[in-house]
Amino acid sequence: MTTHLGLMAVFSVFVSVAFAALMRDDPGDQLRFGARLFAGFMVAGIVLGWLLYPLPL
Amino acid sequence: MRATAAERTQTTTNPYLICAAAWLVPGAGHLWLGRRQKGLTFLITLTAMFAFGLWIEGRLFPFDVTQPLVALSAFGDIGIGVPYFIAKGFSAGAGRVVAITYEYGNAFIIVAGLLNMLTVLDAFDIAQGRK
Repeated sequence: MTTHLGLMAVFSVFVSVAFAALMRDDPGDQLRFGARLFAGFMVAGIVLGWLLYPLPL
Repeated sequence: MRATAAERTQTTTNPYLICAAAWLVPGAGHLWLGRRQKGLTFLITLTAMFAFGLWIEGRLFPFDVTQPLVALSAFGDIGIGVPYFIAKGFSAGAGRVVAITYEYGNAFIIVAGLLNMLTVLDAFDIAQGRK
């Protein structure tokens, strides 16, 4: 649970659920929008992580 | 999906009262306005997010205006409403800077508060008949 990836996934779940409920009214739309948001968070996080990898701290 | 014209009805209750309830208890504004599914989703999700942030050793920041970023974080923290005061009452949220999850905990707590502020605005729009 204390891994970067694990915490990012938990954060993404919470934020995706909240935004899906905020921005869509129909439960089916909420599920699809939430899943897309979650996937977007995860992919963006991993891609950005690898892009920053070569940079010195 | 946008609400239909028939669903969009302006409530007779003072929208500012609904906003206050929505701020104090996450999802309360939507529950008050009859949006049960959304209200319960916000209540469970935002409260759990805040509690999770505390559990992984995030900090509830003090209102210190001499440090603008700390004050902004405190503003975000308090956005969650009653759970913030309950946590303060139990002396939770001391934060442990050396914990590996400290910064993550802060992010969870602050974002839960900011998301609750968005739900307050959403409840206001619904109360005004805009959604």
